[in-house]
Amino acid sequence: MTMATDVETPVQFGGDRSLFGLFLPASRRGAHAVLLCPPLGQDMIRSHRIYRQLARGLAAEGVPVLRFDYFGTGDSAGENIQLDWHRCLTDIGTAATELRTRSGCDTIMAFGARLGGSLAMQASASARFAKVVAWDPVLDGAAHVARQDAMQQALLGDLNRFAQPRSSMIDQWCGFPVPAALRQQLGKLQATAPAAPLHLLDSTPSGIPQRELLLAGGATVTPLRQPTPWDELERIEVAILSRELVEQASAALRTAH
Amino acid sequence: MNETAFRFGRADHLVGLLGAPASASSRGEVGVIVLNAGLVHHVGPFRLHVDLTRRLNASGYPTLRMDLSTLGDSGASGALQSREQQVRTDISDAMALLRAQAGCTRFVLIGLCSGAENAHLAACTEPSIAGAVFLDGYAYRTLGFRLRHYAPRLLQPARIARFLARRMRKAASPSIGAAEPSFSVEFPPLPQVRDELADMLQRGLRLCFIYSGGVSYFNHLRQFRECFGRHIATHGGASVHFLREVDHTYTLVEDRQRLVDMIDAWLRAQWP
Repeated sequence: MTMATDVETPVQFGGDRSLFGLFLPASRRGAHAVLLCPPLGQDMIRSHRIYRQLARGLAAEGVPVLRFDYFGTGDSAGENIQLDWHRCLTDIGTAATELRTRSGCDTIMAFGARLGGSLAMQASASARFAKVVAWDPVLDGAAHVARQDAMQQALLGDLNRFAQPRSSMIDQWCGFPVPAALRQQLGKLQATAPAAPLHLLDSTPSGIPQRELLLAGGATVTPLRQPTPWDELERIEVAILSRELVEQASAALRTAH
Repeated sequence: MNETAFRFGRADHLVGLLGAPASASSRGEVGVIVLNAGLVHHVGPFRLHVDLTRRLNASGYPTLRMDLSTLGDSGASGALQSREQQVRTDISDAMALLRAQAGCTRFVLIGLCSGAENAHLAACTEPSIAGAVFLDGYAYRTLGFRLRHYAPRLLQPARIARFLARRMRKAASPSIGAAEPSFSVEFPPLPQVRDELADMLQRGLRLCFIYSGGVSYFNHLRQFRECFGRHIATHGGASVHFLREVDHTYTLVEDRQRLVDMIDAWLRAQWP
């Protein structure tokens, strides 16, 4: 094992330096680097710790890593309501270019959880990913939209959270506004094989819906023993932590093949 | 928006985003530091800290949203310190950054939950701190709290049934909430906190207390006075609010907008 420099450098890049990221170099120059594409909404906040753990683990293996926030999310510029699927895809390309420049590696692999996995798959051609590792990616957008709507309704009536049931005129999912365009974009999201080799990490209790379409196209899958509570109302503010995920994702991303 | 990401601190181990004011004014002397809410990294619950700091920048205040040692994107300093020493030193490092980068001379701390506890800790001793916003900070169950809490429940069988059902669900699924990050914060004794708040006000600090309906230990605006006494509750430097309908982390977009409006208005009134 090669020791990482262990110091993440905050970076601001893209047009008007509007994107925020943290670059973690490796102590030796390797054959490839990894771009961590975050999920959206509350999944992003919940996954922050595990993304950091994954970045540190990969850097310790000699793989430079960039994690970043899309426009309208995290520390990047833009308001929540400006979140847009196509802009996220563009941002992934911008982040991949930034990672190539900083790491000196032309070969880039991508990792993404949930909608971050879906985005990484869609951006694989334009960002020239050598491989995509997707953890519980959303492959059926319409079902995802319906699930988020149902969770939001349950949240408004959750008397463990609110003293009285609430109503809202704002379209939102678990704390984040839903731009009208994004709702439409997600509603049309379908499982499509990415241009790059795809490895699925599946921690859903009954298998990622529609994953068979991708497996038939050559994708590989590692089932995870520990199910991830993505859509449990009681846990929407609990960090997503999984040693198994970090181990399996690291294994899938540490070599250039 | 004019934000710059920094690594800073005595061991260059802290990460934060410094926001510059939209225009130069006397408000620029007052730097606002937003501390971690529990274990959530520096963007805050549902990105609250981003919305808040950018609004305050638009109002003319420099800001820093940061991660304390070992939280979020920050690492450990490597120094052997108690938690209290570490928090104070981290905040001191944050103030040094705002002094150097934005020319601030006075500071306001904002914290939710454990962030409020840490803001209180630093405000007790740090002379450069001019004010603080405590979101679901210290408060204690009083006789009035218990009367308001239990009396209505005893008269409503449906609520008793819901309470029992919740208990049964938890018993059936003990993994829920077990060994997971929680909101619970161990409070110091009431007399200690009361004396510390009195001392802050006597030293001229301006304090804003905002309680939500999402915590189990506060249920009426009157409770603040019941806890801390008339002297603190009616002091000109203290401002107290109770938002009964909102939850602990301001999950709904409109609740966060309301909170941001309140804090912005309070700051502009205190440091125009």
